[in-house]
Amino acid sequence: MNELHDAASRIIALARGLGADEALASVSRGVSTDLSLRDGEIEKAQESRSLSASVSLYVDGRYSSHQTSDMRPDALQAFLARAVDATRFLEADPNRRLPDRADMGEAEVELDLVDPNPPAAEDGRARLLDLEAVVRAAAADLRVRSVQSWLWRGRYESVRHTSHGFSASSETTRFGHGATLSIEDTDGRLPEAYSGYQATHASDLLGPPELAADLAQRARERLGSGPVDSGTYPLLLSNRVVSRVLGALTGGLDGTAIYERRSFLLEKLGERIAAEGFSLYDDPLRPRGLASRRYDGDGLPAVRRAIIEDGRLQSWLINTYNARRLGRPVTTGSTSNLLIPAGVRSPEAIVQSLPRVIRVDSFLGGNTNAATGDFSFGIQGALFEGGAKVASLSEMNVSGNLLRLFEAWSEAADDVWTYGTLFSPSLLFSDVQFSGR
Amino acid sequence: MSIPRPQGPPGAWFEAMGVTPELTRKVLGMALSKGGDDADLYFQHSASTSVHLSDHAVNQANTHVDLGMGVRVVVGDQVGYAYSEELTEGALLAAARTAAEIARGGRPTREVAVAKAGSHPNYYPVRTPWSEVDMGARVRLVRAWEQAALAQDPRVKRVEAWLSDAASTVMIVRPDGRLFEDWRPSTLGMVRVMAEEGDVRESANYNVAARAGLEHFTDERQERLVREAVARTVFLLGAGKAPAGEMPVVLAAGPSAILLHEAIGHGMEADFNRKRTSIYADRMGSRIAPAEVTIVDDATLMNARGSLNIDDEGNTTESTTLVEGGVLRSYLHDEISARHYKVKPTGSGRREDFRHAPLPRMRSTLMMAGPHDPEEIIRSVERGIYCVSFANGQVHIGGGDFSFYMRHGYLIEGGKLTRPIKDANIIGNGPKALEVMDMIGNDLVVDEGGWTCGKDGQGVPVSQGMPTVRVGKLTVGGVN
Repeated sequence: MNELHDAASRIIALARGLGADEALASVSRGVSTDLSLRDGEIEKAQESRSLSASVSLYVDGRYSSHQTSDMRPDALQAFLARAVDATRFLEADPNRRLPDRADMGEAEVELDLVDPNPPAAEDGRARLLDLEAVVRAAAADLRVRSVQSWLWRGRYESVRHTSHGFSASSETTRFGHGATLSIEDTDGRLPEAYSGYQATHASDLLGPPELAADLAQRARERLGSGPVDSGTYPLLLSNRVVSRVLGALTGGLDGTAIYERRSFLLEKLGERIAAEGFSLYDDPLRPRGLASRRYDGDGLPAVRRAIIEDGRLQSWLINTYNARRLGRPVTTGSTSNLLIPAGVRSPEAIVQSLPRVIRVDSFLGGNTNAATGDFSFGIQGALFEGGAKVASLSEMNVSGNLLRLFEAWSEAADDVWTYGTLFSPSLLFSDVQFSGR
Repeated sequence: MSIPRPQGPPGAWFEAMGVTPELTRKVLGMALSKGGDDADLYFQHSASTSVHLSDHAVNQANTHVDLGMGVRVVVGDQVGYAYSEELTEGALLAAARTAAEIARGGRPTREVAVAKAGSHPNYYPVRTPWSEVDMGARVRLVRAWEQAALAQDPRVKRVEAWLSDAASTVMIVRPDGRLFEDWRPSTLGMVRVMAEEGDVRESANYNVAARAGLEHFTDERQERLVREAVARTVFLLGAGKAPAGEMPVVLAAGPSAILLHEAIGHGMEADFNRKRTSIYADRMGSRIAPAEVTIVDDATLMNARGSLNIDDEGNTTESTTLVEGGVLRSYLHDEISARHYKVKPTGSGRREDFRHAPLPRMRSTLMMAGPHDPEEIIRSVERGIYCVSFANGQVHIGGGDFSFYMRHGYLIEGGKLTRPIKDANIIGNGPKALEVMDMIGNDLVVDEGGWTCGKDGQGVPVSQGMPTVRVGKLTVGGVN
């Protein structure tokens, strides 16, 4: 870490020497290894080592940002000289300044982001052979075309310095594993299912037997898939894919989109944007969280905050620059770990309680109109009637408007997904438009 | 900042950084020190600049410099890979030693020849390289786009504009002595507009991209860039929802080739077929589409964003015919799949940068013109939709399901375009859609937009083109 601090302070000194009034430098280093196995043979083994710097420059009231992986001292000096020169050609922007020094700092919490007892790195091949064997056993009833499994680990460090004396650092480990199962359907199609996990601590990953059972079940549910009739159905959105829809919603919170007046959440602060009872929190301080942090992108201390509480929009994502442009208080420029509170019933119990419901298990393409909130996504999933699965679905779309969708939210299940940066249970919505046959 | 085309004799582009022929030979020797069938070194130095206009001021710029080398060792179908961002002898040898681990236990199998630079055609000649264009000129360009957009329609309330350019110098060295250098320029201009009418707000953008210098921004192209960005945004103000369900879909010439890219192109990438996980595995030589359908993947279009002088393994590029008269003729091959299928590589081995091993990828994917007049195709549809522009797409290679997102379109009623529609995802199954791709227009257009294709976490620039096409049945994600 000292090397990174040295590099960052050297960059700040160089930038100041070249004429920058203020500067911010981040230097990051990462080491990671990836291993993948297909049908018993290693497919690829990769090691990645990276070191790069990013710099924000404030020159005569003008602003620019720069990245480089060429850290040779001479090259860095020349790079910064060109960067400072280029900045002088831009138009001035009085709102571009570093955050006030007094506002910057780090939350004083232990986030536990480094695994002190990682598994031995050399065992990768043996672990993947074991994972593949377990997957094949769990899929014994299926005609397996191919199994790919993978394993990766990484360690990442970064430091941030400003010309007005702020410095901070962060460090995290990452572990991931997963598998893809390709099977033969009776009509010549080769559906694939995927199950993957990541965590800051290796011991938090789902074990191979559970992973294999989940993967085989996901593959089994792809057999004989097709569309059912277009119409409105209740939607049960599976926990691990809530992020796709929620990402479209949180995209509307972005301070730049608000400033440019191209967000569908523009006039919605303090308003109801979801059904009563629906809440969404941003928690950067969650121990072991994949997006946990002690300071945000501006170097402001990280704090927990409500984004939506009981259906009302509580907070946009406003960084220091957008706060100055909008004349609004700063919140934070980007989300960290997002949390949707769990409900009491299991997804199975919810399915049992409804005459019919479509459970969406994965998305295929689709997009959102960020100015209106209209969305349309391709889906895969299953139709249940009277609690029993009656069809595996593919070649269908789900469409609507995000505000109306969340207005139609009715229940959260009890199955919070913990392997990503969104900690959400499966969510139930009433009356959603599906297009199929 | 942008990297000018390097000067000096062939093979000397990285010598100033201490990368001599002797050093590359040593690094390749280390890569093959434990055995392995083949290896390659991929050196890259790239730089990009972008300027951004927001709210009447060009007040943000970004530059990015990248330097490094990736080393790959191949044993059968297995790949060992490592990279270094330092070009010192110690760092390069360490990366090669790591990549060599894939062949652990073997013995050196081959002698490494002294590298000798080869030549290749140039599909991206440049008149005014970006290294000769100062920041002031870039600022003036985007400023003019904003002024023109605001003047075009009173409903335009906000304009954002970006101009970016990049150049990448690459050098590929192989143990058999082959050495290729390529200088790859690129540029992209984009205008995004926000328009308001009453309490309706909409935003859309248009972009143009190429492997070219400043000369790409002719008056005519700049005028179109601005006009399309404004027209597409105000179009949305008056557009309604698409209908829902299965119906005929007519795809306008040009960007509709996203269907080609997703529904067919990815399935032709030979790695999926070699692993037998593509729905097109084992279909070589058989009919997969109507006889009017001919599809090529062409690396040689002048100044196209998807063009490549040489692929990222150092193989000659070409225009590869994938489907001819409806019959599957070739996959897109990198060296590993070409060896597997015992054919010549098609020059399709591509990578995002030195941090990644190459994979078979598309370049510029085109459907050749057919016999039908575009008007005749629209007239043939009793009730369906006509798709004009697109945002993104995706495919499941094995199941064959694909989807793409329409931003702008029209309802077709009684053979005529009636009301404007927007924002619908369209989904189908590749082989089934090909069977009902029943009318091909005579109006092939290569789209000028800046498409980027993602696969295995690697993004590469691509182009695509298509004539007007009717697909008899796809599922449209609208509302009823």
